[in-house]
Amino acid sequence: MIKIEHLSVAFDGPEVVRDVSFTIGDGEILGVVGESGSGKSVTALTLMGLVSESAHVTSGKIYYDDQLLLEAGKPRDNALYREYQGPKMSMVFQEPMTSLNPTMKVGAQVEEMLLLHDRKCLGESIASAPKQNEIQTQKGQLADAEGVKMEEAKTRYAVGFTGWREERKKEKARRKNRVLEALRGVGLREAERVYDCYPHQLSGGMRQRVMIAMAVILHPGLIVADEPTTALDVTVQNQIIELLKKINQEQKNSLLFITHDLNLARRLCDRILVMQDGLIVESGHTEDIFNDPKGEYTKKLISAVPGRTGKRKSPHEKIRPLVEVRDLSVFYRENANSLFGKTVKKCVVHHADFTVYEGEILGLVGESGCGKTSLSKAILGLNKMTEGSVTHHSNSPQMVFQDPYSSLNPMKTVGWLLQEPLRAQGILDPSKAMSEKDREAAAHDMLRKVGMSEKYFTRRPSQLSGGQRQRISIGQALITRPGLVIADEPVSALDVTIQAQILELIRSLQEELKTSFLFISHDINVIYQVSDRIMVMKDGKILEIGETEEVFQHPKDPYTKELLR
Amino acid sequence: MKKFGAWFQKQNMYLLVGLLMTGLAVVLGILSFFWTPYGTTTMSVAERFHAPSLRHLFGTDNFGRDIFSRVMQGIGTTVIVSSLIVLISASAGILIGAVTGYFGGILDEVIMRITDAVNAFPSILLALVVISILGSGKQNVVLSLGIVFTPSYVRIVRSEFIRLRDSDFVCRARLMGVSKLRILFIHILPNIWSVFWVSVTIGFNNAILAESGMSYLGIGVQPPDASLGKMLSDAQGYLGRAPWYALAPGLTIVWIVLGFSLLSEGVRRKEEKKK
Amino acid sequence: MKYLVKKIVTLIMTLFLVSVLAFLAFQIIPGDVVTSILGTEATPEREEALRKELGLDQPPVVRYVRWAGNVLKGDFGESYRYSKNMNQMMPVAELIGDKLPVTLLLAALSMLIIIVIAIPLGVFWARSKSKILDVSLNMGTQTAMAIPSFFLGVLVTYLFGFVLKWFAPGSYVSFRDDLWGCIRYLIFPAISVAIPKIAMTARFLRNSMLTERSSDYVRTAFSKGASERRVSYVHVLRNAMMPVVTFLGMIIAEIVAGSIVVEQVFSLPGIGKLLISSISTRDFPVVEILILYITFVVIFVYFLVDILYRVIDPRISSK
Repeated sequence: MIKIEHLSVAFDGPEVVRDVSFTIGDGEILGVVGESGSGKSVTALTLMGLVSESAHVTSGKIYYDDQLLLEAGKPRDNALYREYQGPKMSMVFQEPMTSLNPTMKVGAQVEEMLLLHDRKCLGESIASAPKQNEIQTQKGQLADAEGVKMEEAKTRYAVGFTGWREERKKEKARRKNRVLEALRGVGLREAERVYDCYPHQLSGGMRQRVMIAMAVILHPGLIVADEPTTALDVTVQNQIIELLKKINQEQKNSLLFITHDLNLARRLCDRILVMQDGLIVESGHTEDIFNDPKGEYTKKLISAVPGRTGKRKSPHEKIRPLVEVRDLSVFYRENANSLFGKTVKKCVVHHADFTVYEGEILGLVGESGCGKTSLSKAILGLNKMTEGSVTHHSNSPQMVFQDPYSSLNPMKTVGWLLQEPLRAQGILDPSKAMSEKDREAAAHDMLRKVGMSEKYFTRRPSQLSGGQRQRISIGQALITRPGLVIADEPVSALDVTIQAQILELIRSLQEELKTSFLFISHDINVIYQVSDRIMVMKDGKILEIGETEEVFQHPKDPYTKELLR
Repeated sequence: MKKFGAWFQKQNMYLLVGLLMTGLAVVLGILSFFWTPYGTTTMSVAERFHAPSLRHLFGTDNFGRDIFSRVMQGIGTTVIVSSLIVLISASAGILIGAVTGYFGGILDEVIMRITDAVNAFPSILLALVVISILGSGKQNVVLSLGIVFTPSYVRIVRSEFIRLRDSDFVCRARLMGVSKLRILFIHILPNIWSVFWVSVTIGFNNAILAESGMSYLGIGVQPPDASLGKMLSDAQGYLGRAPWYALAPGLTIVWIVLGFSLLSEGVRRKEEKKK
Repeated sequence: MKYLVKKIVTLIMTLFLVSVLAFLAFQIIPGDVVTSILGTEATPEREEALRKELGLDQPPVVRYVRWAGNVLKGDFGESYRYSKNMNQMMPVAELIGDKLPVTLLLAALSMLIIIVIAIPLGVFWARSKSKILDVSLNMGTQTAMAIPSFFLGVLVTYLFGFVLKWFAPGSYVSFRDDLWGCIRYLIFPAISVAIPKIAMTARFLRNSMLTERSSDYVRTAFSKGASERRVSYVHVLRNAMMPVVTFLGMIIAEIVAGSIVVEQVFSLPGIGKLLISSISTRDFPVVEILILYITFVVIFVYFLVDILYRVIDPRISSK
C-alpha cells in the first residue's frame, strides 16, 4: 500500500536518512526500531509530508496506493498532501503533553479533522462501513468536493437561509456525535466530559487516547505512530499498545510503529525494520529478527535490551548498615492559592522504613509520581519537611541525576568538574585539603576509571555525548569516595546500547570501590540487572522489599506482578 | 536582493554594523575631550544659521556655533553618563538579584514588592522625582538613573538565579559541600553572562534615551556641559528656519541607540548559534 | 476568587508603599518650600507662620497620616503655586481635573494606533518568508525603537507641520470647545508616542508567533491536513496573542511616560506639563498627588490585564 523507494533526506549537512526503501502492506503493522538519531522519525515525517522546510529530499520516491506523493527534486505538493493527511493517513506523536493545542477544547480539535475533510468524503462513504482499500483517484476526489459544494449551494437556494441554518445545526450535531463516538471508541468512557475539556485537564494517557481518536476518526488507510508510549508510565503504556492493536484488528488499517524499544516492537509488530545512522540495517518478520538476528548492530541492540538475564552475582552480606531510614514520611507544600499564600502540607512518602547496607546496590522501582525522587531528596537532606529519621553511618552521600544535560555545569571543563568535589572537601575540612597536583592526579585517575581518555580533560560538557556526560557525573559523585551514591534514573535518558554500557560501568565501579548505590528507575528490567535487593514503591508507599531473585520469582504484591508482566 | 537578505543574516551583519555604528560614536565622543573642529563656544553673528556644508558638516546654530563640534561634545557627555549609569545599575542588580534569587524568603519578597512598585512607574518619571529631591546636574542624573534602572537588572539576574538555583548541577554542588558564596559566584554566575550582556546593551539604550529625555526637559545635564537633549530643545524654536539644528542632535541619538540595538541583536544571534 | 482578593491586597499594598515614598521623599528637604514661596528676603516670623499654616511644623509621620486621610476622603490639598483667586490657592483636584482628559485622550489614541497597526504588521511579518523583507522590517523596527519620543515629536512637527502643513503646531484647541478639532490635533502627538511602541509590539508578536509556530501542536494540525493559512490563524495566532496581551498592558506605563514628554514638545496642557512645571517650582502637593495618581492608573491597568489574561487563557481559567 505504501511504497518508499531509495529515500534520502538531508538537512543543512550530511544525509540523516540514506537510501531507505520499504513497503507497508494492507493491514500490516510495521515496526521501525532504532536509537536516537537513526533517522526513523525523519523517515516517518517525510512520509507524512510534515518534515520541516529546511529538509531536502535528495533522492527517492514515495507512493501511496500507486499515487506518487513525493519525488526527489520536486517541491512537495502541499495541496495534494492535504488531501491525504487525515482521510488517508494520520499520525500519533510522542509527546501527548504538547501535541494538542493548549487553548482549544479537545472536542473541537478532533472535530477539526471532520471540518477539514468531511466535505470531501461526505455522505455514505464514511458513515457506512469504511472502504479504505478503494482506490480513489485524485481527480475523482476533487470532483466529489466540487459536487458537495454545488449540492450545498443548491440546498441553500432551495430551502432559503433559515432552512440552511437548520441544516448547519443538524450537521453540527452530527459531527459532535461522531466525535463522541470516536472518543468512546478509544476507551474514553466519559466522552461527553472529555469533549469539553482543555488538554491540560486530561492525564497523559487520556491525551494520547484523544490523539488516537483524532487519528482514526476518518478511518485512514495508514496510521503512523511515532514513539506513542515513550512519555507514558508502564501500565498506561500497556493499555495504549492494546488499543493500537485493537484498532488495527477492527479497522484493518496499516500501522507504522516507530520506537526505540525492541520489546514493544516485538509485542505489536508483524515485521520490523532496524535503522542505524539513517540506513536500514536489517528487516524481516519479527520473530525471525529476534531469534536469528543477522546484522552486528541488531545483535548488539537485542543483547543491550535489559531482560531478565545476566543478573550480577555479587556476594554481599548484610553486615553493616550504612543508612537507616526509620518511619520516614515526606511532605511538600502545596500552594492552596489562599489569601496570604497559606500552604497545605501534602504527604508524598508514607512511613518508609528500610536500611541500605554497606556495599550493596538497592534498587527502587516505581512509576512517575510515586514519590521515589522525594524519598531520595529526603535521604540526602535536601527536603526538610520530613517526619521520622534518617541515620547516616558514613560521609555525605552524592547523587547522579537522570538528565545528563543539566547535571554538569555547562561553563566548566571536565577537569574542573572532577576536581571541584575535592576542592570543596578541602575548604570544608582543611585536614583533607589536597595540593593542586594531587587533585589533578585524582581527577585523571577518575577519568580513566569511568572509561574515558585523557583528551576529554579539557573539554566542556557541551562537547560530550549524553553517555559521556553521565560517565563524568558518576565520576564526580564517586571522587570523594562517599559511602552512598543515589542514582535517580541515571540511564533513562540514554539509548539502549549506551544504557547497557553505563549499567556495566556502575556495576564494575561498585565492585571496585565498594560504594553502596540506591538505584532508582521506572524500568524493572534495568533494576533487575543491577540490584542486589529491590524495593517497589507506589503512591508514596513501599509495597515490597526483598532480594532481587526472590521478588522476581515470587512477587507478593499485585502491583509488582503487574509491573513484571 | 533575496540573496542579500540571507547573506546579511547568515554573516551576522547585525553585529558588525552595530559595532561600526557604536564604535564611530564612541571615538567621536572621546575625541571631543581633546579636539573639536571648532571651539564649541565660539559665537559669530556672521556665521548664524549656515546650512550643512563641507565647512560646517552639520551647519551652524543661532549663535553661529559649529553644530558638529557641539554634537561631538554631546556624544562625549552621553557616553560617559550612560556608561556610569549602566555600571551602577548593573552591578547593584547583580548583587541584589543574586542574593534574593538564590536565597528567596522574606528579603526576596520585600525587594520584589519594591521593584514591582518601581517598575509600575514610568522610568523617566521616577528619575524626575529623584532629581527633584537631589537637584539637577551631571552627578545627580547618573545617580538617579542608576537607581531607576537597578530593578530591571535585579529582575533579570534574579530570575536566572531562580532558574539555576534548582538545576541539577547546583543541587549536586550543594551535596558536595560547596559553600554558598562559591555556588553563587563561581558555579552560577558564569552561566548568566550571555543573558546579562544582552540586557546590558539594552540598558545602555534606555540610559541614553532617559538621559537625553531629561536634558530635553531641562532637568538633566546642565550647561556648560553639552548635551544632545538640551541642544534639541534649544533647536526646536528654529525648526522652520534651521531644521538641521534639531535634526543633528536628534539623528545622533538615533544613531547611537540603533547601534547598540543592533549590537545586542548581533550578540543574541551569536549566542543562539552557539547553542 | 481567592486569587482576586490576593491581587487586590497586593495592589493596595503597592499603592501604600508608593504613597509613603512619594510623601516622605519631599519631606527630606523641608525648608526649601517656605523659602521658595516667600523668597530669601522674608522675616523668620513670616516663615514660621507660613510653616504653621502649611502644617510643616508637625513631624513627618503625623503629616503623612493627615495627608493620607485627606486623600482617602477625596481632599487632595491645595497647590503652593497656582492661585484660584486673590485669597485662595487652587485645589489640586481642580488643577488636575482640568488637565487629565488631555493626557488620557492622548494615551487612548496612541494605544488605538498601536493596536490597529502593530497586530496586522506582526502577523504579516511572522507569515512572510522573504529574507529581505525580514531584514528590512527588523532594521526598520530597530530604527523606530531607537528614536526618542521627543525627537519623534520634533520630526512629526517638522514633517506634518512645516513641510506638509497638515496642522499648525501650537494651535491646540481645548476638547471643551471643539472635541473633533482637539482629536485632529492630538493625532500627531499620538503618532509620536505610538511609533516606537508599534515597532516593539510587532516584534514581540512576530517572535511569539514564530515560537508557537515551532511547537508540537502545530505539527499535529498540519498532520490533519490543515492549510498553512488555517494553522496560522486558527491555531498559532490565538496562542501567540496570550503573551501579547500582557505585553500591551506593560507598555501602558511607557505610553504614559511617552505622553508626558510629548506633551512638552507639542505644548499640550496635560498632566505631564503640569508635573514638570510643578517639579521645577517645588509645588509638592501637586507632585505627590500626580505620582500617586499615575501609579494608580498603571497598577490598575496591570491588574485588569492580569484578570483579562486569566479569563482568556483556558490553562489558568479552567483550573
